[in-house]
Amino acid sequence: MSWEMVAGLETHVELSTKTKIFCQCTTEFGGDSNTHCCPVCIGLPGTLPKLNKAVVEYAVKAGLATNCRIRNISKMDRKNYVYPDLPKAYQISQYDKPLCESGYIALSSGKNINITRIHIEEDAGKLIHERGDTYIDYNRGGVPLIEIVSEPDIRSIEEAVEYIEKLRLIMKYIGVSDVKMQEGSLRCDVNISVRKNGEEKFGTRAEIKNMNSLNFIAKAMEYEFNRQVDILENGGCVVQETRRYNAEQNTTESMRSKEDADDYRYFRDPDLVTIAISEDEIKNIKKSLPELPGEKLKRFTEEFALPFDDAELLTKYKKIAEYFERSCKDVTNKKLVSNYILGQMFRRLQTDTEKEEFSIKISPEQLNELVLLTENKKLSSNMARNVLEQMLDTGKSVMSFISESDMEGIDEGDLRAICEKAVANNQKAAEEYKNGKEKAIGSIIGFIMKETKGKADAAKATEIVKELILKN
Amino acid sequence: MITRDDIIKIARLAKLSVEDDEIEALTHDMAEIIGFADTISSAVQDGFEDFDDINNITNAFHEDEVQESFDRELILKNRDGGEQGCFLVKKRSGRIK
Repeated sequence: MSWEMVAGLETHVELSTKTKIFCQCTTEFGGDSNTHCCPVCIGLPGTLPKLNKAVVEYAVKAGLATNCRIRNISKMDRKNYVYPDLPKAYQISQYDKPLCESGYIALSSGKNINITRIHIEEDAGKLIHERGDTYIDYNRGGVPLIEIVSEPDIRSIEEAVEYIEKLRLIMKYIGVSDVKMQEGSLRCDVNISVRKNGEEKFGTRAEIKNMNSLNFIAKAMEYEFNRQVDILENGGCVVQETRRYNAEQNTTESMRSKEDADDYRYFRDPDLVTIAISEDEIKNIKKSLPELPGEKLKRFTEEFALPFDDAELLTKYKKIAEYFERSCKDVTNKKLVSNYILGQMFRRLQTDTEKEEFSIKISPEQLNELVLLTENKKLSSNMARNVLEQMLDTGKSVMSFISESDMEGIDEGDLRAICEKAVANNQKAAEEYKNGKEKAIGSIIGFIMKETKGKADAAKATEIVKELILKN
Repeated sequence: MITRDDIIKIARLAKLSVEDDEIEALTHDMAEIIGFADTISSAVQDGFEDFDDINNITNAFHEDEVQESFDRELILKNRDGGEQGCFLVKKRSGRIK
């Protein structure tokens, strides 16, 4: 019997505002424990929270960028639960009037993953477990979060991963968060159930927590899917509960049953006034949004005529996309720029983090200068490649490595003479090429490049060499 | 209708320790409190959708500008135990039904 996965995601994104959501303590990551705290964020009785204006703006941005409808009237609610990471014994969140509702993320297949809501809330403090005791650091307490809740529209691990990647990139582009999964500024919980193929009714779901990478999310979903299918195929029932992913054993284990967890006794927070956002304000925020990754990708393929895979790689990293565009100034063949970035530059950036940071020694203007010289045939592509390597090593501009004579090129008569010499000196390769071994021509071209110190136009030289060999 | 089981469940959720002989009185008190809330709810008429917002004030915001946090000494002044600038979570001694 075949089974279908049904999943929905709850994604917490830490906003990169300077201050916390209800007080003006810094949100800076790190710092000695309990040094970014005040009576409001450690929940002392009698203190009054005041909402951070930027949190509302950032959340509205996130909502607009994910096609949500923005509520004109919204409010904050108390979500009651007793746990030491929340000193007030409630978290200030939003219940029935979230800021944003009914959005979606479009996957590359054309399918939309619908977003139920995006609401704002405060993060909890951090518990440190040591030698059997538990300590609390409230630096993170009160850092603003948005929670993005998807509909149960996800049907495979691939869809879940693409949804998170797209969401992450959008948040990065609009600048509301640094979305670093490893630092916890993007966290995902997965609600997952299974049903028989063709069935409409959803099965009983489990919520999986504690995954801090895309890889772990994928593994946890795979494990949980198989676990639930096994239970059902053996005649059992899936229990509605919260489960924790155990990365060491690659399993999920029960944390608490739903009965104990889901009675939050929400009610409006009387300390916080109504949030009113006018249509004009929403319009202004919309205007301030930058071009989103999906739009950029479309423009790179349609206007810049880049192959889809190239465009996708360039837009995957915000800094690289920006660098690419700046390097393209006055360049006709944008693919040339893309080739240098995705080829020589990417070779120097091994990890995703390195690509994300894109610390390259030369500026886009320096790359642009090199590309224009190549495009105007002042530099052979071979020479440009060598020069770019030196530029990337030193951070110096193209003119530091070439002279006027390098840019003069070689006239066709001289090139032909060198080609004749090259063929004469590489008779064996010429013979092999004649007998159908295409690659043999490489050593002849190599000879020419050496002779001309890279100045020769490789395409032209190849043409002449082929002609000479076939004539013989 | 508030039952004995409701009281036990709420006590467990709130991590409160409740003795057997307290449950009856608590059931009675809770029923009265809920009854009072019902009275208030029945007073809400149509057209008062935002009954929870009695102040009619909107948008009291703070600007996103950092102000200095409190001295850690002050923040930790009331803590009971703990080290390295942290609060300590006391182990629960009470029983939870």
